[in-house]
Amino acid sequence: MNIAASPHATGAQGAAHGGPLRDPLLAVESISLSFGGLKAVSEVSFDIRRGEIRAIIGPNGAGKTSMLNCINGFYHPQEGRITFKGVARRRMKPHEAASQGIARTFQNVALFKGMSTLDNIMTGRALKMRRGFLWQLLRHGPALAEEIEHRKFCEEIIDFLEIEHIRKTPVGKLPYGLQKRVELGRALAMEPDLLLLDEPMAGMNVEEKRDMSRFILDVNRHFGMTIALIEHDMGVVMDLSDRVVVLEYGRKIADGSPDEVKSNQRVIDAYLGVAR
Amino acid sequence: MNPLYQIFVDPFVQMAGAPDLFAQTIWEGFVGGMLYALIALGYVLIFKASGVFNFAQGIMMVFAALTLVGLHEMGVHAYIALLLTLGVMYLLAVGVERAVLRPLVNQPDIILFMATFGLTYLLIGAGELVFGGNPKTMIAKELGLPSGGIDFNILGGLVSLQRIDIAAAVIASILVAGLAAFFQYTRVGRALRAVADDHQAALSVGISLNEIWVVVWFAAGVVALATGVMWGARSNVSFALQIVALKALPVLILGGFTSVPGAIVGGLVVGIGEKLGEFYWGPLLGGGIESWLAYVIALAFLLFRPHGLFGEKIIERI
Ligand SMILES: Nc1ncnc2c1ncn2[C@@H]1O[C@H](COP(=O)(O)OP(=O)(O)O)[C@@H](O)[C@H]1O
Ligand SMILES: [Mg+2]
Repeated sequence: MNIAASPHATGAQGAAHGGPLRDPLLAVESISLSFGGLKAVSEVSFDIRRGEIRAIIGPNGAGKTSMLNCINGFYHPQEGRITFKGVARRRMKPHEAASQGIARTFQNVALFKGMSTLDNIMTGRALKMRRGFLWQLLRHGPALAEEIEHRKFCEEIIDFLEIEHIRKTPVGKLPYGLQKRVELGRALAMEPDLLLLDEPMAGMNVEEKRDMSRFILDVNRHFGMTIALIEHDMGVVMDLSDRVVVLEYGRKIADGSPDEVKSNQRVIDAYLGVAR
Repeated sequence: MNPLYQIFVDPFVQMAGAPDLFAQTIWEGFVGGMLYALIALGYVLIFKASGVFNFAQGIMMVFAALTLVGLHEMGVHAYIALLLTLGVMYLLAVGVERAVLRPLVNQPDIILFMATFGLTYLLIGAGELVFGGNPKTMIAKELGLPSGGIDFNILGGLVSLQRIDIAAAVIASILVAGLAAFFQYTRVGRALRAVADDHQAALSVGISLNEIWVVVWFAAGVVALATGVMWGARSNVSFALQIVALKALPVLILGGFTSVPGAIVGGLVVGIGEKLGEFYWGPLLGGGIESWLAYVIALAFLLFRPHGLFGEKIIERI
């Protein structure tokens, strides 16, 4: 996959471990979001550094998904601000977030069910394909060349994710684990600067989890992609992430390296509090 | 005579007895059906992209035809007028996106639906204001559309095809196939299907709803122009023409509001069923069944296929 060829990706490498604190890719500053009377997120601040895998954990309903929704513009926090690539913003539309380099996957797989794996991943190229629709109407010349070029890129992603055998299959027919993989492929096709993954391994068996972990690590280590990861499986979180932020009832209760977080008393209490 | 015999046996005896008439009827149904399919496609595209039934589709057809003829009356060459009309339909699409869809995004669907009512009356008003309210004759000849008929001596009789019908069938087929291919194989087409499938996911990959809306409304405008020319050539161009667009309703019931193949097959079923019914069963009821027969056909289908011909099962999440 030639994601590595894009300048931002290669240049970002190396910042992951012990990189400079000054220049985070994304900084969230005292974000608050409420729905009616319910505070989903309360005054949360954290940052994501270039090249790292940043885990966001917490019990169900802690506000993790809401946080991602704020970052990619689905929700507009009532207070606080978000700085991405040094530009602070208050409101942003999802497709603006996408065009600035934020891609995501969803907790409940959100694929285009009627379309094939390849077509789903091709939609990830929507922003990279710029020929006007009149050209496409002719399906000729530049538009056709463009189509072919992007298809090749998507085929590389398909190879990388080892899903060649299902490239023509309508994704609605695929088992859940593979759908999650296709969804990752669609996000990768955007060549994002920041990849938001909302429980990419939920509902997977051990083997599928291992595959998915490997893909996430590869994307991060080889292509230098910055990743925010929401995940419940503590083993996975400890293995993959560089730093962890912990939310509970919409508030941040801990932030640090996996080891620090693991031994933090408030975190232990939060998880025992919802122990099943 | 026994009424059961008259309903269930006699029509088929007639069909078998005079295959030339039968072929003639099927042909006429086919031509009408292709045009219905085209109109239905206009509805389907807009419904897929914005989840709204575009009440104005019929009037867009009249408006396009009026603009074309009106421009020609002002002394513009027919082909230039055709291009200009396409331009007007594009501006209409942009205008609708700016003035209607963009401000109303995230409003309930019923609000958007009401907005298309508003658009209908706006277009009626604009059309009358600029081009007057009198019926006009479609400039079929000036556009190079053929006239007259061709007779075939086949099936032991005479089957007569109107040249304009042949042209209509060919043009409608090309447009239908072209639109279907466009939405199957291009970025914009993929984006449209993506929006129809999962709104949020489509936004998350950076698909711009605004662009999709313009494209889709323009496509509906092109469809409106084509159908306006064809139907206009068969009768004439007046606001009464919009009734034809309502024929697309049973087509949509049959084919489903989101299915392109459904619109095509549904259009043909309604077109052909309607002609057969009118010709073979109509006399039993004293004629005049064409206006409602399509709905009966559609409802009969619904009894067996509640989700339409190709519509997927929609299970509401609760
Ligand atoms: N669109 C919404 N409307 C109303 N409440 C919401 C909405 N989205 C999230 N919430 C609420 O916000 C809280 C946090 O939810 P969420 O961010 O999904 O948590 P998590 O992803 O950590 O499980 C929950 O109480 C949830 O019910
Ligand atoms: Mg969640």
